[in-house]
Amino acid sequence: MTAPPATTEDAELRADRRDRVFDAMATVGLDVLVLGRRDSVAYASGARSLWTAGTRPFGPACVLVEATRSTHLLSTWDEGVPPEVPFEHLYGVTWNGAILAGALASIPGLATATRIGVEALSPGFEHMARRLAADAELVPADDLMRALRALKLPAEIASIRAAVAVAEAGMEGADAALTDGGGPTAARVAALEEAARRGVTVPTSGVAVSPVDPSAGNHVHVDIGWLVDGYEGGLGRTLPGADDGAPAVAAQRRLIDACRPGATATDLRGAVAAGATRWAVRGSGMGFEPPVVSDALGRGAVIEGAMVLSVEIELDGMRRRDLAVVGPDATEVIGPARDGSRSQAP
Amino acid sequence: MNGGVGEDLARILAERRTDMATIDVGRMGRERHARLQAEMARQGVEVALLLHGPNVTYASGQAVRGVDVSQAVLDRPVAVLVAGEDRPHLLAGDIDPALDVERHPAAWPELDEGAAELARVVGAVAGPLAGRRVAVDEQSGAMLRTGVLGGADIADASHVVGAAKLSKTDDELACIAAAQRRNEEAMAAIQDTARSGATRSQVAGAFLARLAELGGGANLIDPIFQRMPRTVADGPRTTTKTVAFPTGGADDPTFGEGDIVWVDSGIDHLGYASDFGRTWVIGRDPNQAERRLFERWSEVMVAVLEVLKPGVTGGDLCRAAEAANGGDRPWLPHFYLAHGVGVESAEMPLVGTDLGPGFDDRLVMAPGMVLVLEPVIWDDGVGGYRAEEIVAVTGDDWCHLGGGHPYPPFA
Repeated sequence: MTAPPATTEDAELRADRRDRVFDAMATVGLDVLVLGRRDSVAYASGARSLWTAGTRPFGPACVLVEATRSTHLLSTWDEGVPPEVPFEHLYGVTWNGAILAGALASIPGLATATRIGVEALSPGFEHMARRLAADAELVPADDLMRALRALKLPAEIASIRAAVAVAEAGMEGADAALTDGGGPTAARVAALEEAARRGVTVPTSGVAVSPVDPSAGNHVHVDIGWLVDGYEGGLGRTLPGADDGAPAVAAQRRLIDACRPGATATDLRGAVAAGATRWAVRGSGMGFEPPVVSDALGRGAVIEGAMVLSVEIELDGMRRRDLAVVGPDATEVIGPARDGSRSQAP
Repeated sequence: MNGGVGEDLARILAERRTDMATIDVGRMGRERHARLQAEMARQGVEVALLLHGPNVTYASGQAVRGVDVSQAVLDRPVAVLVAGEDRPHLLAGDIDPALDVERHPAAWPELDEGAAELARVVGAVAGPLAGRRVAVDEQSGAMLRTGVLGGADIADASHVVGAAKLSKTDDELACIAAAQRRNEEAMAAIQDTARSGATRSQVAGAFLARLAELGGGANLIDPIFQRMPRTVADGPRTTTKTVAFPTGGADDPTFGEGDIVWVDSGIDHLGYASDFGRTWVIGRDPNQAERRLFERWSEVMVAVLEVLKPGVTGGDLCRAAEAANGGDRPWLPHFYLAHGVGVESAEMPLVGTDLGPGFDDRLVMAPGMVLVLEPVIWDDGVGGYRAEEIVAVTGDDWCHLGGGHPYPPFA
């Protein structure tokens, strides 16, 4: 499947996200926002860039100037750059700090900024920023981006739904491979091939196949996390017989139902079934996102409407993970037709 | 198929390819720790706080995961080094029992509650930081808000790690070689899937599936099978006015007969990256003009390798490459003639970058340095040839870390 060309919907989604970022900058009084991570850059700018695993040293991959609502990107080419970012707003990859500083210095509004938001900070970039904008206060702005990203636009939920469908196809492929007598490697390969067949080759967490305690028979936990057009599709099951684990299905449903607006970590912990051997709730969108709630984490976390959450639980050796959207009336599992959790829930 | 200089290159590489030493993970970790401690002492650093994944791997041996940046950042492990201590502290979930580290629960430094916990652990193992020289590679917003490094004299930890890892130990070289050879094996197995009518994602999927079958190693980059234009003008617009590579991510082309495809992939072994680079032609043998690109690329490679030994400079290598290419620079201007590889897919020594000729002339090759040579020959109208080979500088010469993968369909 060829990746779809940029559509009107894509342009609208990009514009909606971009407006949210600039509006938030204006609200909190940021003149400039410097983003360094691919997922944040994609959210704010719509840029699609080469996927690489893991972290990168923090640097100014994207510079947003509130006064002109202009976006400047670190990119040597215009491939993957949306049309609303003009070519003149690109600064090329460089190994030379002086060249980078020169490129940044030419961005109108940077030198005169008084408050610059940064997603993170490295000693090297802090040094550069203090020279480029001597009077500016550097302000952590990771929380600003996370607050925006946490509440999904309808088009984002549609993107996540499409991404979950790819994970679902992978799960079916893995299930079929196991049913055919294949082992964990065959299941993993099948899931990878199903994704590639749909044009998807980049993970969030990827495909993990891990054996269950041998006393549980030949079961394996399969967890799939793909990044599809920038959004995460995630699904976890214990195979074969994922739909047979009624206690796990019910336990997950109870935890999902607890994910209602206003719920805190204490509320979610109270909804975890006795005997659960593993559970976690976290945000999902353009990859992994806060909040993160578990036995150890979640201080200050509050569930809000329009969040999308990854909800995972393991009970009696059966593991389930789904993405769910906190809707106005209920928190609903996104996508998978095979889920069955609604009909099987008590 | 080709004969000539392509065969000369293959022979020269084969002559300097040796079986790698058996990797001793414990020794590798101890030697890295000793180098980091020596650099901390040299740079006057009392505490080093490492968050960037490859730095954590270098300091602690923590395994590399082939996961997205969003996950890698959110549940990131953290390494803490205290001057004079004999092992690193590692804050992570599911720490490998074999690692020789002081273990601490995962810190979650991207979260405000996690940053506070990180501050508590750092205080417990290193004492108050105020007024002391503390190296850090990156601070999360939560760390800035929480004031984890409040009052410390902050230094750049990338200078500590960068200096420590510049020259590799024998174990590290063996890791790079193992990663490279598995990478080559997976590519050799799937090259015939790159045929007319196949999409990039199908070929990439075949590669990822083969990697899964081979086992080990994480995939570090969306494997690149980039259909290249024949002229720069037919490709994306670039700030350098030269050909764009590697663009990645934007589309998923269907290959047609005669397409020139630049291939690039990277997987790891025990945290060390590989770097596979080749040029493929879809569905037919290369024509004469395309063969000439490969011959010129081979001539540049031979010329550079003839010069390479301890004591020569990056500038010497650049001049050898240019001389073999009629005086023109045979590499992409936004990249390099050669880059190092290790826990990062591209790290020092960087040769031929926009750091400039003065930098190259001061960059002296030393034993243990690794070079991924990646010249590019571009003939506008014909297209380009690009491939990569990994070599390491030895005590008196160099050795080849790759496994001898040929250059089909060119040789």
